[in-house]
Amino acid sequence: MPGIEYLLEALTPFNIMLALGGVIAGTIIGSLPGLTATMAVAVLVPITFSMPPASALILMGAIYTGAIYGGAYAAILLNTPGTPSAIATTFDGFPMAKRGDGDLAVTLACLASVAGGLVGAAFLLGLAPPLAKVALAFGPVEYFWLAVFGLTLISALSEGNLLKGLIGACFGLLLSSIGIAEISADVRFTFGSQVLLGGIETVSALIGLYCVPVLIDLVATPDRHLKVTHQPKGFRLIEALAISWKYKFNLVRSSVIGTLVGILPGAGGSIAGLVAYSEARRVSKRSEHFGTGEPEGVQATESANNATVGGGFIPTLVLGIPGTPPDAVILGALLIQGVRTGPNLFTEEGSIVYTFIYGLFLATILMLPVGLVIGRYAYKIIITVPKAMLVPTVAFMTMIGTFSIRNSVSDVIIMITLGVIGWILNRAGYSPSPIVLGLILGRIAEQGFVQAWTIGAATDELAAMFFGRPISLAIIAFIGLSLFYPLIRSRWTGRRRKVNAD
Amino acid sequence: MQTDHTENVVERDFGGMVTAAVFILVAVVALWDTTNMVDADSFVFPRAVAIAMIIFCMLLIAWGLIRPIPGDGEASAPGASTTRRVSLVAAMLGSTALMPWLGFLISGFAAFVSIMLIAMYDEWTPFRKLVYPLVCAAFVVGFYFLFAELLLVPLPIGGLFE
Amino acid sequence: MMKLIRLAVLAAVMVLPTSLVLAAGADNYPDKTVNYIIPFGPGGESDITARHQQSFFKKLFDEDLVISYKPGGGGAVGWSQLNGMKGDGYTIMGINLPHIVIKPRQKDVGFKTEDITGVYMFHYTPDALVVTSDSPFKTIQDIIDYAKSNPGKLTTSGSGKGTANHLAQIRFDKMAGVKTTYVAFKGTGKAVTALLGDQVRAEWGYTSIGAKHEGKVRLLAVAMEKRHPKFPDVPTFKELGFDIVSGAYRGIAVPKSTPEPIRVKLSEMIAQINADPEFRERMENDGMALLDVGYVDYQAFVDEKAKVYLEAAREAGVIK
Repeated sequence: MPGIEYLLEALTPFNIMLALGGVIAGTIIGSLPGLTATMAVAVLVPITFSMPPASALILMGAIYTGAIYGGAYAAILLNTPGTPSAIATTFDGFPMAKRGDGDLAVTLACLASVAGGLVGAAFLLGLAPPLAKVALAFGPVEYFWLAVFGLTLISALSEGNLLKGLIGACFGLLLSSIGIAEISADVRFTFGSQVLLGGIETVSALIGLYCVPVLIDLVATPDRHLKVTHQPKGFRLIEALAISWKYKFNLVRSSVIGTLVGILPGAGGSIAGLVAYSEARRVSKRSEHFGTGEPEGVQATESANNATVGGGFIPTLVLGIPGTPPDAVILGALLIQGVRTGPNLFTEEGSIVYTFIYGLFLATILMLPVGLVIGRYAYKIIITVPKAMLVPTVAFMTMIGTFSIRNSVSDVIIMITLGVIGWILNRAGYSPSPIVLGLILGRIAEQGFVQAWTIGAATDELAAMFFGRPISLAIIAFIGLSLFYPLIRSRWTGRRRKVNAD
Repeated sequence: MQTDHTENVVERDFGGMVTAAVFILVAVVALWDTTNMVDADSFVFPRAVAIAMIIFCMLLIAWGLIRPIPGDGEASAPGASTTRRVSLVAAMLGSTALMPWLGFLISGFAAFVSIMLIAMYDEWTPFRKLVYPLVCAAFVVGFYFLFAELLLVPLPIGGLFE
Repeated sequence: MMKLIRLAVLAAVMVLPTSLVLAAGADNYPDKTVNYIIPFGPGGESDITARHQQSFFKKLFDEDLVISYKPGGGGAVGWSQLNGMKGDGYTIMGINLPHIVIKPRQKDVGFKTEDITGVYMFHYTPDALVVTSDSPFKTIQDIIDYAKSNPGKLTTSGSGKGTANHLAQIRFDKMAGVKTTYVAFKGTGKAVTALLGDQVRAEWGYTSIGAKHEGKVRLLAVAMEKRHPKFPDVPTFKELGFDIVSGAYRGIAVPKSTPEPIRVKLSEMIAQINADPEFRERMENDGMALLDVGYVDYQAFVDEKAKVYLEAAREAGVIK
């Protein structure tokens, strides 16, 4: 293994303490809706000035990976992605919790996160410099097609009514255009309001559209929030391990997807989770059950989003280009310490990088006991706390969390308003997920499209630009598969049934 | 739900269709706003999306009129209290609006307590009457400490106190 | 009853230190933590320069400088809220040129250039034309030759539209008599990625990119009066006959209600940080240039730069 001589350096008591403390702090912070991994890392940057660079990296990496995992708690138990990377976890996580399998879902999420994190770190360890080239090969066109691929998930998330899903997605796309446009310096859809200048903030929109409707319905009846079918004893670890082993291909595939998406600058845990979910659903034998509480779904998203941690560090360390938003902060902290990123980091300054990577492995492994314990407590708290305490706590957390994102009171108002709109839309049969998809992917799709168009038009290669590049073609192929595979498969199984019947 | 009187009472997805009509309005407003955009790059995408949205909405309304299917929205649980729902939203919005004036601690506490009352379905035993308010205060102060001191978020002090 | 008492105590605890500060004046300033708001997201260049200042602030003045972020609208959200903040010197905000000049002229963004009370402009990253190290373009002349024979085909990346990068491209095109195509990306990071990935032929960026990606990129020219100490082989635009001296300027502003003595004191403090030789070395090593425009000279400086920016912006069609 490369740099194995630095393994011992990663295991100094100081570094172990940093890894453990970082994972615990990160998990707790990530579980609070509104607090993102980026925020958690940003706050701790000044502390890292006095540490040696490798230790600083270990601490920040541990917090990062803990926060990405922690987002699963609120996603599963409250239908609120604690961090954007946990969006797709709500699709199957919350239904599982509602039918009484919340503790199983939490444990599954923990196992999947650890697996994903290890895969991502392994890629970072062995294949960082060559994989970094992938980051550069992804141009505006590829981002555009990737966003379109993400949007094909709409059909899966519309719960049968494709038109409503498409309308919701369009609404989300329009919402994403509000504010100052990056690509043209125009101000759009603000109608003179200063409040909307900054656009609709993604995390506050998530909390509004997913969590507030749940709260509104919680206060309406005296019923319990989640069904409790059995006394919570143990972690249901054996059960979760059995499920994880049964779907091990899903685990591996999703982790690889997550690592690759993490490498792409600007695409973070949320996109990784969505893409992995989409693929898992496509190839699963139980794809019709996705969305009703399928363990495979939770597995896919949680392993993918934790894999982005390791994957995101690849372009960050090799090219100095942040793979995900927390990486940008980490990069800044490194620069202050005088650490120059680049391939030399792996050869000349090997001690920093390899000590850090082994520390990341350590932090990921530590996430297993930490995650299981915290998860068990989180589950117990949510199901035992009386509604009169649960609702105000969650409501309060969403308000303070949303405020902290951009230190903006108007974001909180927007969140609550979107929440009411989301509740009304639920009543009318419109699911919030397509809207969220549109909101997140809209910016990526638009920027990619306009940039690709500008370059293509300038060089007179418009058609070749959009349809001539190898990576784009691969993504377009997946788009086709994603849209038509279910049809092909049902036709195929129908034919088999006919043959067997004859 | 379809009943035996399918001849007379035809279920239509009114909720879905009305919402689609509202969305058409939204798209039209969006299109209108694109007319005062200077740079061509700005309005290409929103216009395409708005037009697509209008088409989808019209399709939905047309489909709903031709082939009546019952709405597929979430049904309200029996005995759901609308008052409580509205009060919750009012409490959240109200306390947020007051935040710049009263500061985070006070408006947050007000929000917490009022939402607790809105969500209260159990009886007010003496134990609860004592413990619940204390827990409210503990939560509010605890979170305040976590965010303002540990995470260094500048929570509003409140115009009244400055 | 208990909660009322508790609330009263908490309220009193919050009011007391505030009133003490107001009474203090500039003599004891600063005697507690200063909140430094960056109107952008974390990890960007404004963040990094602020972090540099943070460590020296602590060293020189023995108080903490706490950095928080208020991103949105390319800085507009933060600047539009500046004057609504407490003006006691404990809340300061980063400002950027040309942003604060161009943005208010485009549309109603919630503030006007005159609303910003700047106390110091402490650094600038000069504009530079960047290419990859293996690019066929070795000098500015190569670029001009190519652009002349292939009008519109030379693609350059840059951060945003109506920004320093964009304006530099417009002015250069005009002065050199060529037509190049500018592709806007969200932030300098993405613009550099596009260059490194060969999505575009060149990038209108900053000298700091040359430092950050040393070995992978080449600076063709810098927009400075004299050559940058870190890149002695790179000519200035002026040397080559193009009067382009510009870049992104960064400074610090305070809410309008901040009293005069505190503004002056703050200006002196930033000057002190700027004068620290270790600070200078670190900034220059990261490819940035330092600038010393204090409180007294701030307005004249901004007005002068504004003239140039606005003209270029008008020509680009960015403003009417």
